[in-house]
Amino acid sequence: MRPISPLLLAAAIALPVSAPLTAQAATPGEVLTTYADIAEAAYADAHSSAETLQAAIEAFLAAPSAEGLEAARTAWRAARVPYMQTEVFRFGNAIVDDWEGRVNAWPLDEGLIDYVARGYVGGDDNGLADLNVVANPSFTLGGETVDAATIDAALLQDVLHEADDVDANVATGYHAVEFLLWGQDLNGTGPGAGDRPWTDYAQGEACTNDNCDRRAEYLRAATGLLVADLAEMAGHWTEEGEARATLMADERAGLASILTGMGSLSYGELAGERIRLGLLLNDPEEEQDCFSDNTPWSHFYDGVGIRNVYVGTYTRIDGSVVSGAGLDTLVAAADPALDTALRGGLDASVAALQTMVDTAEGGMAYDMMLAPGNAEGETVIMAAVNALVAQTRDIERAITALGLDGVSLEGSDSLDNPSSVFQ
Amino acid sequence: MRLAPAVLALTLVAAPALAGVDAVLDDHVLPGTAAFAQATQALDDQAIDFCQPQDLAPLWNSAMDAWVRIGHLRLGPGEQAALTIAFWPDARSAGRRTLARMIAAQDPMGVHGDDFPQVSAAARGLYALETLLYDPDFNGYEPDSYSCTLVSVMAHDLATQAAALDAAWREKFAPELRTAGQPGNATFLSMAEAERALFTALHGGVEFDADQRLGQPMGTEDRPRPQRAENWRSGRSLRNLTLSLESLHAMATALAGHPVDAVDSAFDAAAYFSLAITDPAFQDISDPQGRLHLESLQGRVRTIGEVLISEIGTSMGIAPGFNALDGD
Repeated sequence: MRPISPLLLAAAIALPVSAPLTAQAATPGEVLTTYADIAEAAYADAHSSAETLQAAIEAFLAAPSAEGLEAARTAWRAARVPYMQTEVFRFGNAIVDDWEGRVNAWPLDEGLIDYVARGYVGGDDNGLADLNVVANPSFTLGGETVDAATIDAALLQDVLHEADDVDANVATGYHAVEFLLWGQDLNGTGPGAGDRPWTDYAQGEACTNDNCDRRAEYLRAATGLLVADLAEMAGHWTEEGEARATLMADERAGLASILTGMGSLSYGELAGERIRLGLLLNDPEEEQDCFSDNTPWSHFYDGVGIRNVYVGTYTRIDGSVVSGAGLDTLVAAADPALDTALRGGLDASVAALQTMVDTAEGGMAYDMMLAPGNAEGETVIMAAVNALVAQTRDIERAITALGLDGVSLEGSDSLDNPSSVFQ
Repeated sequence: MRLAPAVLALTLVAAPALAGVDAVLDDHVLPGTAAFAQATQALDDQAIDFCQPQDLAPLWNSAMDAWVRIGHLRLGPGEQAALTIAFWPDARSAGRRTLARMIAAQDPMGVHGDDFPQVSAAARGLYALETLLYDPDFNGYEPDSYSCTLVSVMAHDLATQAAALDAAWREKFAPELRTAGQPGNATFLSMAEAERALFTALHGGVEFDADQRLGQPMGTEDRPRPQRAENWRSGRSLRNLTLSLESLHAMATALAGHPVDAVDSAFDAAAYFSLAITDPAFQDISDPQGRLHLESLQGRVRTIGEVLISEIGTSMGIAPGFNALDGD
């Protein structure tokens, strides 16, 4: 087996464009610094908005009420805004990709966590799809008896999450919290989101659906873990952080990370797995925020996040702006027409996702758009898919224009170095 | 009928980059989509009059064979067709669930050809047909039953999709690839982009064989997943892998413009390792010996992907682009 050297290949392809690069005001190092600064700010925002969510949940659990539950739901939606803008960092940075399953795993067999409606069907080969840990202080897992008398971070993280090697056993993260706040969306492709009563958390006589104390314990533990996990990732992007250090260690690989994250999120993940698939299956459970119907907003901020890292600008949740030399400056130097096309493509996908949001806000919820025979919904969804696919082609062109073809990215599915599998 | 490619080859001496794209289209893609359209038409013709498993199984198998040879062409018209023709893997059993619901409710969409294309992708195409023909929970239906009509409608929908796929390649996407870089071609701005698109499909096909066809049933060492094997109910898992690799080998040769020793060796090694597999449905994955054989084969298939990058990608100056299956 002959070891290959993708970097040599990249250098060979890069020769024709390396001259304009050096003539630019912005250096690759400056572009990488902007990218890392945006990551630092966005993860810090995700962390602080999760803390706000935690405070709302603590207030609700201390004195359960309909208003308290609504305040917690509002805080959850707000917490998604910065987090979704960090997703573009996931695919190009192994440290993020390895961690991501703890905070945003999806889709889930929610019967693992709490009660579900009679019509609920979990995955075929998931024996834990209707475990309902809230109702069961003791259960059997892989032949062993598990003591779940106390629901805490360790139980969620080390025992339940991805139990039995089934991805749909999601015990932690945004979507577990979402399920505990909204409950199942039983409206199929009709109007309406999950409608869990606040009394699911009422203590004493008023408690509905039993085990309100354990349900509250679960919600508290899952929210605490989410805050801790986000704090960890925010730390990785600070001045001394590991993610930043890895990124800055190799300029060429760093630039490839940016584009890989943009392309993989645009195409395989967002356009494919999260949007087109749900439409083709007409399956409302194939929507990213399926309990809350917050999906269009989540998709929208994914799109905004992709554009952020290209233009080198991120608007923080307090309204302040983090900006610096963007990748666009390097692409514009190598191929101005490509830069124009890619900017146009990113604007077009954000606009298409905005239309999806507006359509949902106008009364056609995302799961209604998925209904068989809903031509208008299909048009809205496919416009977003097509825009994301189109921008991916220009992202590929940017990789070539910057001479980054074949640059190896450790731990990334695309543009990876297959020979590393054998080392 | 080898005349056309021979003549073509003469004209290409001055433009070697063109050899790959035209050869892939003429020797691999278009014969493949035509064969798939033909095979599904034969299935459709039979299903008009006969709907039971014993009547249709051989023709369904021929259609599967034809599909597996082109299933890696997830670009252009194949990008979405791959989902509505061959929805697999189906991690959440959306196909069986949807079919069970449709049959229980006698859903009118299942028996009206005009409406059928609107049903869930998981309940259409080759894998939905496999469920109805081979799954004991589904395949005991009588002639003139709802399921019988459903099978006929499903076969017709499949043939219609296959014909549309062939036409879309032939009339639109193949010409776009051939005219890459010419004025007016907004899809492919250079011949290198067309080559990259085909190379991405080639490399993605090898990854699919390693990660999905072999990886799905392998699961983890503690938790093998035999029922996640592709087409395990019809016993085709190994056959699909073998046919796919043969087809990818031919595509690689066409793209390179000539046989490449290292590529031939890599494919030959995988074929040799596949001889050790004794269960054609990979159901012996829980047995240590069975697992070892599948793991070894998976390693050889991954090696093919590596060799394609070093021997064909590097020499043509291309790296794989973004793959539709990137992501979770």
